[in-house]
Amino acid sequence: MHILDTEGLTKRFPTVTALDGLTVTTGPGVTGLVGANGAGKSTLIKILLGLLPPTAGGARVLGLDVTTRGADIRRLVGYMPEHECLPPDVSATELVVHLARMSGLPRTAARERAADVLRHVGLAEERYRPIGGYSTGMKQRVKLAQALVHDPKLILLDEPTNGLDPRGRDEMLALIRRIGAEFGISVLVTSHLLGELERVCDHVIVIDAGRLLRSSAIGEFTQTTRSVTVEVDEGTQALADRLVELGHGVAPHGRMLLVEVSGPDTLDAIRDATADLGLCLIRLERGRQRIEDVFREAAGV
Amino acid sequence: MSEIYDIGYRHYDGPRLGRGHTTRALTVHSLRGVFGLGRPARSKLVPFSLAAIMVLPAIVSIAIMALMRRAGMSYSGYAVIMQAVVAIFLAAQAPTVVAPDLRFRVLPLYLSRPVTITEYVGAKVVAMTVALYALLAVPLTVMFAGELLIDLPGPPRTKEYVGAMLTGLLLAVLLAAFGLAIASLTPRRGLGVASVIALYLLASASVPIMYSTLLSAGNDAAARWAWLLNPFWLVDAVQVWVFGTTPNSEGGYPGGPVSFVIVVLLIAAAVAALALRYRKAASR
Repeated sequence: MHILDTEGLTKRFPTVTALDGLTVTTGPGVTGLVGANGAGKSTLIKILLGLLPPTAGGARVLGLDVTTRGADIRRLVGYMPEHECLPPDVSATELVVHLARMSGLPRTAARERAADVLRHVGLAEERYRPIGGYSTGMKQRVKLAQALVHDPKLILLDEPTNGLDPRGRDEMLALIRRIGAEFGISVLVTSHLLGELERVCDHVIVIDAGRLLRSSAIGEFTQTTRSVTVEVDEGTQALADRLVELGHGVAPHGRMLLVEVSGPDTLDAIRDATADLGLCLIRLERGRQRIEDVFREAAGV
Repeated sequence: MSEIYDIGYRHYDGPRLGRGHTTRALTVHSLRGVFGLGRPARSKLVPFSLAAIMVLPAIVSIAIMALMRRAGMSYSGYAVIMQAVVAIFLAAQAPTVVAPDLRFRVLPLYLSRPVTITEYVGAKVVAMTVALYALLAVPLTVMFAGELLIDLPGPPRTKEYVGAMLTGLLLAVLLAAFGLAIASLTPRRGLGVASVIALYLLASASVPIMYSTLLSAGNDAAARWAWLLNPFWLVDAVQVWVFGTTPNSEGGYPGGPVSFVIVVLLIAAAVAALALRYRKAASR
């Protein structure tokens, strides 16, 4: 079953077209939604939650139509907004318990789930203190916890790493990966930073000005290029000569060599050549294309 | 903290309750908020002090009934006499019900759940109504219980008590809807408090002045209309019309159902204002 699918989804506001004929499907796992600010990411999320009617086209979340089954979708989906949304004078525990009840959990279950989920996002003793005194990283964790507390089938995370320092960013990304992999909850995560999604997503959708630029599995995005990087301690030139001799395409790349791969035997040849020449092999790495390059390509920049 | 992460994720397969449950839970949550329950002690100070002040005249009345063997304060006049306390309670506590969710943009967290905006606003109005009603009904009931126990000569004033309880409910709905509508337009709590109290002061201070001015101009009928500008006297006029009680204003009120019609229109206007305010807030 598709986690979500849209068909010619269009949303026009009086002055701007936020989504323009977007057709996309995603399966389970972690899906990244990439686009610059104003590309239509938040609008798409609001439509998927059934809170904003599309101008044209349609969308389904977990097989439920967004225009007619909004309430059912919101029962099964968690949402973490981009903006600050936490009252400062209540504790994280109190807020998350209350929001669990707003999702329909009975009182006792709400308490248990809130305690569980706050532990999973890494809030310990501080969860009993008022949120007003929390750091940005802790607030982001509370926002994530409230999205998870009712054990949704899918969570929509709008720019979860916004405002975090590099370490907080890493921790948040690791948490998102865990949610997708270990918790078995599908994730749609938006970001305007392409590099960070590469680390956690199974599938990436790139949109720009409300249009689909590309949607594919992460493997295809960062598909292995047909070359390997070879680095040896000394004797780079000798190795290059030997490989050329054997009929392989070799290009120097700084202190390293880029060797064109024609098949598995190329790798064997590199191994054997270094061994024969008595060289110390430091690196033998497949070159990878990064999401940024794809985005640049697709955008025609 | 790595050991904390080692506890595996558990799915929830228990019951997921429907709208009735969530709306009730939100109402109770808001009601607790009005009285500062589950909040620091300083949040309880204002509501509970005002509630205590509301009960004082009832206790004094019981003392009068017990010691002097005559009726104390009237049930029908309780709300009008204590109107300043009720108004301060409304001004102080209405913003706590609606302002934080608007100011700190918590609303999307509700709306991304099965809660609809109508249920949200409805729960808030009901919570504020219950709080205000408790403020009025508790002293009335204490006083009535006292009257029954003391057993004064003559029949107990049951009809007047019931009438005051029913009109008290109408007053609570009117004040709650209006107070919340004003408070929701001013997301800053302090500003909300100030605007509700300012509006009340305007309505209570200007009314007697208008009344005496019109009276001295010899326009008795118009003068009686002036009382209807204040919510407490307006609802008292409904009480006079329905239960035939003694007016708690100088010179009485315009007769007939006109006061009731005004109350209903005002409640409708306040609810419409709330609906518009929240429709705008929801689309943010």
